[in-house]
Amino acid sequence: MLEIRGLSKSFGGVKATDNVSLDFADGSLTAVIGPNGAGKSTFFNLITGAFRPDRGQVLLDGVDLAGRTPPEIVRHGIGRAFQVASIFPSLTVEETMLAAVGADQRRAGVLHRRFPLAETRDRAENAMELLGLANKRRRTAATLSHGDQKLLDIALALVLDPKVLLLDEPTAGMGTEERWRMIDKVRELWERQKITVVFIEHDMDIVFKIAPEIVVLCYGRILARGTPEAIRRNQDVIDAYLGTDHHAGAHA
Amino acid sequence: MSELQAGQGTALDVRADTKSTRYRDVLIALAAFVILALLPAFTGSKFLLDFVIRCAAYGLFATSLNLLVGYTGLTSFGHGMFFGLGAYGFGLMMQKAGVSVPVAFVSTLLIVLVFAAVIGAICVRLKEIYFAFVTLAFQMLIHSTILSWVSFTGGDQGLRGGIPRPPFLGIDLSNHLHLYVFSCALLVLGLLLMRQIAQSPFGYTLRMIRDNATRASFVGIDVYRAKLTIFVLAALFASVGGMIMALFVSGAYPEFAYWTISGEGIFINMLGGVTTFLGPMVGTVLLLILNDTVTRLTEYHGIVLGIVILFFAIGLRKGLMDFAWEWYVQRRDAAKERG
Amino acid sequence: MDLDALTGCLVTSACLVTQTTSGLIIGMLLFLVAVGLTLIFGVLKVVNFSHGAFYMFGAYFAMTAYQATGSFALAMLAGAIGTAIIGLVFERGFMSRVYGRDVLMQLLVCYAFVLIFDDVVRMIWGPEFKSMGMPAAFQVVPLFIAGGVVPPYYLLLIGVALAAALVLGLGLARTRIGKVIRAAAHNPGMVSALGINTGLIYGGVFALGGGLAGLAGALAAPVRSLTPGMGFSVLIESFIVTVIGGMGSILGALVGALLIGLIRSFGSLGFPLFTEGLMYLFMVIVLVSRPSGLFGKEVA
Repeated sequence: MLEIRGLSKSFGGVKATDNVSLDFADGSLTAVIGPNGAGKSTFFNLITGAFRPDRGQVLLDGVDLAGRTPPEIVRHGIGRAFQVASIFPSLTVEETMLAAVGADQRRAGVLHRRFPLAETRDRAENAMELLGLANKRRRTAATLSHGDQKLLDIALALVLDPKVLLLDEPTAGMGTEERWRMIDKVRELWERQKITVVFIEHDMDIVFKIAPEIVVLCYGRILARGTPEAIRRNQDVIDAYLGTDHHAGAHA
Repeated sequence: MSELQAGQGTALDVRADTKSTRYRDVLIALAAFVILALLPAFTGSKFLLDFVIRCAAYGLFATSLNLLVGYTGLTSFGHGMFFGLGAYGFGLMMQKAGVSVPVAFVSTLLIVLVFAAVIGAICVRLKEIYFAFVTLAFQMLIHSTILSWVSFTGGDQGLRGGIPRPPFLGIDLSNHLHLYVFSCALLVLGLLLMRQIAQSPFGYTLRMIRDNATRASFVGIDVYRAKLTIFVLAALFASVGGMIMALFVSGAYPEFAYWTISGEGIFINMLGGVTTFLGPMVGTVLLLILNDTVTRLTEYHGIVLGIVILFFAIGLRKGLMDFAWEWYVQRRDAAKERG
Repeated sequence: MDLDALTGCLVTSACLVTQTTSGLIIGMLLFLVAVGLTLIFGVLKVVNFSHGAFYMFGAYFAMTAYQATGSFALAMLAGAIGTAIIGLVFERGFMSRVYGRDVLMQLLVCYAFVLIFDDVVRMIWGPEFKSMGMPAAFQVVPLFIAGGVVPPYYLLLIGVALAAALVLGLGLARTRIGKVIRAAAHNPGMVSALGINTGLIYGGVFALGGGLAGLAGALAAPVRSLTPGMGFSVLIESFIVTVIGGMGSILGALVGALLIGLIRSFGSLGFPLFTEGLMYLFMVIVLVSRPSGLFGKEVA
């Protein structure tokens, strides 16, 4: 279980994350929504160690990870994908997967053997199959389409066998049809892998359709949390968010 | 994407037995060594053998720099300091401590290891342009220390009076032929080890850091430690180059530690190209030929060299081996399409 | 090490004055070079590795102009304007081709020009040490301030450099061009969106930076010996200055330059063999404690 306790971070007096406490049960699928500047990405950055929280705890199965470095947090089982696909442009899809598995097996510093290591193959193969990238294994990441780069980014998180997977806008920069394909993929991954998935999403249609659980952030605070039905009816949410110009799908 | 990237486009065949690629490399290295070692049997040209020894010294240095620049994306402009430290460390050890060659060799490596670990610990955290210049500043610090510590280093006169080279294990390095074969052995062995580093899982860790250090850290890689490790390893190989140079000239001079050595190293990498592992080696041969020819033709060889650099950096935008590699890949792909 | 000499100097007013002025002139010359370096970096995001060559050209131009005309003022002008033109040509002709490319490429192009410029100087003026000599107007009795000897030329040098710093600072803060330059440093895209020719700005900044380095060389010519390659140690020192002060910060360059000047001047008393070492040591201490420099905003 991932428990966030009183997580806070300010930048020059602006509270980007303000005393956020949340629980994510094992195997849950949660969408994080909120207007631009609501602190969604900061929230992820605090959990994954990209930023150091000012206060608060990030407990994964009872272990506090707040303030640790990204490599430590990843090794404890929190993987993430980025809003702008963060990949290794000159490596092929397959090399990327193999190298990531090697890193996860604490073999990133091995000098006396040749890359790739035999023991990394199965997991790399699985991840490629899972994300549908197996037939593009020889392509260098830079030559992949935008959508495939996003998939590769997610594969890079998934191949590490995380307990919790944080996806920062998996559908960012995609066309409508591609979005649905991507989000089906995310849902499928969640169902098959039985891991905790938290994702940021702007498209309300998508959020209300697939997320059993929704968290609404606004100005760094939790505005509401609940099922799609409850969120839809929540007056605060309607006032702060849905009632404004930020209606469904406004943020392409 | 940055431009000078080593070891890309290798279209790795995962199903191929990776052990066999290592044996292939060892075989190539052995063959190269045999050919080099037999060279004196066919030519009595001392000039040619000297040329090969110089290639060994600079080649090890330049290839080790490629581990930083091409594989890791660390643009060191002070890598030459380890070449100089190797030459001075070895020379001083032989002159002042009077130890045997292997002992001096190993203790020089240890000294360089300590220097590289300390300097690296300070530098590898820095962003690229800071990294480039702070490594350069350390090089200047070492150079100025060598110049001013006259009683120990001989100042601008360098370590003179020759380096004693007592025979060991039947190898007599004061014999030109022995020195030649010894240098070739060090070159081949050094290249083989660096090739192993480049193709090891660690080598791919370096490529990940070069491509996207942030992402690498989110895959669980300790970027700082990896950078520091390769900084130290590359320094060790560079110092072996310096030791060969010290043996060759039987001395050590402040120019070995001057920043221009680093500049030449970078230029060698540019010249030969860094796409292929042996690009810097090709660059070394080219630069030495270029230097020798130009020095004979004109006293203003800086101008000529400068223009050649501009031609490569602004005109071609890549090194010779990069061209060769691209040509090969195109042909291979074309052949695949046909067949 | 000679700590007695250092402490002895620190309690003697004459020595204190002499060493401080010598530290100030080293510092002010370094400032003029470093401020160009930092300005070019701030606006163009490239480190002009050949910046030392501008200093060298400034000195040689000044010497030649002085020998031809006998006018000190013309010599200074020749040093500054001549190098400004070289800077403009260098930027438009070569550096502009490597913007947005690898740092390595930019360094290589500059490295090529370091080699070329040094040889050009060797060709024109010869490889041997040259000296411009102190202009007649300044061959007067040195001033005595609190018992310390201060040649009047030193005062002029410090004054000119300070004036240049002031004009530059005010120019950047108050004038329209200054504002455009600062905007370009902040956001190049915005400037071209405003319809301002960024190429012109870039060339202009390079000319300005080059000219300031040239002025430093010209000011140094009467008190230093001229030799091909004289620019390189100045380049390294001014880079240290910008690292200490913070890349892109003009105030940082001033403070950093004065600190380095004083370290060199007083360090040469206490640690005659390790004067340069002190400088590097200081840089390392600053870098470790404040990676972005004393006045830098961006975290390195």
